[in-house]
Amino acid sequence: MTATMREIEFRDAVREAMSEEMRRDMRVMLIGEEVAQYNGAYKVSRGMLDEFGPRRVIDTPISESGFAGMAIGAAMLGLRPIVEFMSWSFSLVAADPILNNAPKMLYMSGGQYGCPVVFRGNDGAGGQLGSTHSWAVEGLFSNVPGLKMAIPSNPADAKGLMKTAIRDDDPVFFLESERLLSLKGDVPEGEHLIPFGQARVARVGRDCTLVSFGRPVHFCLEAADALAREGIDCEVLDMRTIRPLDAGAIVRSVRRTGACVVVDQSWSFGSPGSEVAALVHRECFDDLDNHVHRVHSADVPAPYSYDLEQEYLPNTRRVCEAVRACLYRA
Amino acid sequence: MPVQITMPRLSDTMQSGTIVRWNVKEGDSVSSGTVVADVETDKATMEMPVYDDGVISKIMVAAGQQVPVGTPIAIIAVDGDDGSSTASNAVPAQGNASPAAPAATASPAAQQPPRPTVAPSAPAAPAERVRVSPLARRMAEELGVSLDAVRGTGPSGRIVKQDILAAAHQQPAPPAPAVLDTRAQPAQTALAIGTALGAGSSEVVVSGMRQAIARRLVESKSTIPHYQVSMRVNMDPLLELRTMLNAQLEPQGVKLSVNDFIVRACALAMAAHPFFNASWAGDRIILHGDVNVGVAVSLPAERGGGLVVAVLPHANRKGLRDISTETRALAEKARTRGLGPEDMAGATFTISNLGMFGVDNFTAIINPPNSAILACGAAVEQPVVRNHQLVVGHEMQATLSLDHRVIDGAMAAEFLQTVKHNLENPATLLV
Amino acid sequence: MASAPQASVDVKSVGATEVSPPPPRPNVPRPEVPFDTARGWLREMMLIREFELRCMQAYQDKKIGGFCHVYIGQEAVAVGCIAAVEKRDPIVTAYRDHGHALARGMDPRHCMAEMFGRVTGCAKGKGGSMHMFDRANNLFGGHGIVGAQIPLGVGLAFGTKYEDEVISGGKSSRVTLAFLGDGALNQGSVHEAMNLAGLFDLPVIIICENNGYSMGTHIVRGTTMGHDISSKAGAYGMEGIAIDGMDVLETYWAMRDVVDRVRSTSRPVFVDMRCYRYKGHSMSDPRKYRTREEEEAHERDDPIGRLRAHLEGRGLTEDDFKGIQREVRATVRAAVEWSDQSPVPPMSDLYRDVYLERWGPYTGSSAPEMLGGGENETSFKAIRPVDGEGELL
Repeated sequence: MTATMREIEFRDAVREAMSEEMRRDMRVMLIGEEVAQYNGAYKVSRGMLDEFGPRRVIDTPISESGFAGMAIGAAMLGLRPIVEFMSWSFSLVAADPILNNAPKMLYMSGGQYGCPVVFRGNDGAGGQLGSTHSWAVEGLFSNVPGLKMAIPSNPADAKGLMKTAIRDDDPVFFLESERLLSLKGDVPEGEHLIPFGQARVARVGRDCTLVSFGRPVHFCLEAADALAREGIDCEVLDMRTIRPLDAGAIVRSVRRTGACVVVDQSWSFGSPGSEVAALVHRECFDDLDNHVHRVHSADVPAPYSYDLEQEYLPNTRRVCEAVRACLYRA
Repeated sequence: MPVQITMPRLSDTMQSGTIVRWNVKEGDSVSSGTVVADVETDKATMEMPVYDDGVISKIMVAAGQQVPVGTPIAIIAVDGDDGSSTASNAVPAQGNASPAAPAATASPAAQQPPRPTVAPSAPAAPAERVRVSPLARRMAEELGVSLDAVRGTGPSGRIVKQDILAAAHQQPAPPAPAVLDTRAQPAQTALAIGTALGAGSSEVVVSGMRQAIARRLVESKSTIPHYQVSMRVNMDPLLELRTMLNAQLEPQGVKLSVNDFIVRACALAMAAHPFFNASWAGDRIILHGDVNVGVAVSLPAERGGGLVVAVLPHANRKGLRDISTETRALAEKARTRGLGPEDMAGATFTISNLGMFGVDNFTAIINPPNSAILACGAAVEQPVVRNHQLVVGHEMQATLSLDHRVIDGAMAAEFLQTVKHNLENPATLLV
Repeated sequence: MASAPQASVDVKSVGATEVSPPPPRPNVPRPEVPFDTARGWLREMMLIREFELRCMQAYQDKKIGGFCHVYIGQEAVAVGCIAAVEKRDPIVTAYRDHGHALARGMDPRHCMAEMFGRVTGCAKGKGGSMHMFDRANNLFGGHGIVGAQIPLGVGLAFGTKYEDEVISGGKSSRVTLAFLGDGALNQGSVHEAMNLAGLFDLPVIIICENNGYSMGTHIVRGTTMGHDISSKAGAYGMEGIAIDGMDVLETYWAMRDVVDRVRSTSRPVFVDMRCYRYKGHSMSDPRKYRTREEEEAHERDDPIGRLRAHLEGRGLTEDDFKGIQREVRATVRAAVEWSDQSPVPPMSDLYRDVYLERWGPYTGSSAPEMLGGGENETSFKAIRPVDGEGELL
């Protein structure tokens, strides 16, 4: 497919996806705080009120629990709401509807009522927003069966995954990043859909497989460049979705390289990183030269001060250190 | 040279014995005939003598313990040896004849680290656990590197990939691992040759690749239940066609060999006989889709010598011309640059043709993880019966060696029938 | 907003110890409900009563596990409210949901089988007592978390209005009934939902089945303005009215007014539905928080008794009544037997209905790791390493 590519920002890609889907399907609407008249707290929904009107781009009061539940009720009826959390940190007050209702509705009703809702928002630390505003919720929510979770790292994937998420009949948690919203990248025009459960090989390499999700993919690519100058050739996998997880891509790669480092911005205990490590040990036990090394955000609440926060993140330097350790080149 | 004493079979029904009492202790001198212990068998308590002169350097099983027949129980340091060698280096002294075996890697020092004859100060048994990463263990086996020869640089002395690579870097590249994981064989410990070298004999260094080939052949013969089925094929139509085609193709530089036709005949037959393009996988049989035919290519001595299997991938999708061109290219490459792992991996069926050496017929060893191999002899001009008449014609003997787990006799016969039909109606191979 | 006529409330007496008396029957002339219709409601209430009694028995026989909250005493609420709406109007309720399910038309066999954990249950045995879902009858559950169903109800109203107006370009014509208990009124999500309903003009009727008790806590101990909860509606710009939920005819007519009003104005309404549950909160409740005298006093006001008396005044005979009794008993007994004989879900159902589309609308290149264990154990044996160009190594 030779689609026209243009360079746009991550936020534009998300908006484009939402707008295209809303034009295509009247059942889709956007609900959230400041999404309409304010044009989006982070300008992701800029211009959408003008195009779709206040019945389809809806400003809500500050009641995440209320409007998340409301969206789920509408979804049970058959509508396809997109719910914006200004930050995924604010989703915690809506934990009951988004975890207890949305992912379980189909199961509890014996297959009668699905929940085709997309919850989206900014996820992860890095903006000196303080610990209550810097959650990486994949560590909490990926645990729950019944939901799907997508975490794009670049504008093209943001568009492709968002379109798929909206068309998906199950609840999707769509994790964006405030730090990536201004990132520019080539994005295809028109119908660009990326299936869930299909990782992207961001960099081909022979010596070590780096498995990552979302913003940390960029730390991995920077680390790979730095390590290449030391003669270490890293392969970087951008998983794109956590549920479903493209386990096959990880297994194929590690069976070839024999070394794996997983880089995950959530805290380490009970995280997608732990899951990948367990998977690799289970499936690639005989292929490994060393155990799976893991780089996570430091196991502390996110600090405010700039240097501390940069050290808190699974930054490029820490990724390099982990790769060298994994390859016995520390 | 230390001598290992094992629990002897003192009666024909004895399975295990208990050392009732040791008559010697470590450090005592013994000579041939000394009764060193009383051993209780299933029938009676018997005396246990030794047959060597020396000093008891180690007693491994205490009195009162019952151990199976063959368990090492003591070591004698024979004539001046300090007796601290590892048990595996010692020749079992009782009852077992040491089969002659190829020498261990006694190559010049530059090639690889010498096999240590003195173990580190750890006792001979139980041996110190060697930490090896799973990848390094596999690579060591594939590259023919003995773990005893490697020093680990990982944590706690773990042997890792770079250690194996460092140990093996001087060796020529071995064949690539099989597509399917064959059951991992423990690294064979070389049997030391107990006999001295006689005058006029010499040793040949065995390269890593040769060792690997040797290992695979042994594994194939010992784990695959081989049986053979033969058929004679009337080669006259094929030879005629070949002559005609080669004449017509000569300006294009194409020269078809008999083997090219055989490759094509077999590849085409696979469609109707998928089990010939299959591999045994324990609890199931994997039927490969594409037919990758392995052809035996002889390597010149300076490339390592011997016969290796080069692969023609997707032979079922290639015509005679492509088969011929590729085979010749592989042979040329083998002669000049040597074959790489990519040239030798992935065969699903193998053909070995000794016809050019005048061989009538022979049986080949299956190339794991294939299920069959076809051994073709020469197309010999001989008296043959055609239409009830005795005439002179060319006949070739084709012998299939088969894995009986995958293919039974009837299937083998049917396959050969198809191949024979293909070869005897060679025009069908053109389309 | 004005509430229904009742004794004036001293708004300074927050935390009063007495609940104000139920509203007097309004002096509004009501047309007579046709005899057969009313008889039908009597049968429905008796069915619910009998069904709930048998649930209690089955629970004690360990055929029903987990939680079981019976509706005995509140039958008139479900029957009267549901009679006042149409089949196309969505309904959502909390965990005391058997009555609503039966009144909405669920076959008692499927309802009982669900509680028995059989595959023939309305949720294939995977929901249980608190999760009565019935898509064909527009019953959206059955929810266990207190108050969580109210945002869902508000969402259903949002959805019907969106479908009717934004998608179809017409006028909102459906009404959603969202039931909750008086205890749920303290849950934050309920207030957020009411705020949204009032803000967005959503056609939802939030019906608080006010039986005076939040498990063991009397309402005046747990809720500010507990003596007059419909006053809370005003805080959200909603109309709030109180209805006597122990009288099915009264309930019906009052709700008809409300439903018609909501259908035409698309403005939400809050209903303080006064009722009483005769049994405990759930099966494990010994009801030590109220007196036997109080219970007996309310039992004298039994909604079934009331309707029966009304119908006898219109010609219902003893035989007829006994006939209804026999019929509902037989129906419920048949439901129990059918449930006893129904199979349990097959083990494979454990992994079914988690996702509508396992891999999303487009399949990926390899089977993704979606659910751990069980039928989703992916075999990786056949995966071979691939180099950068996708070539097999």
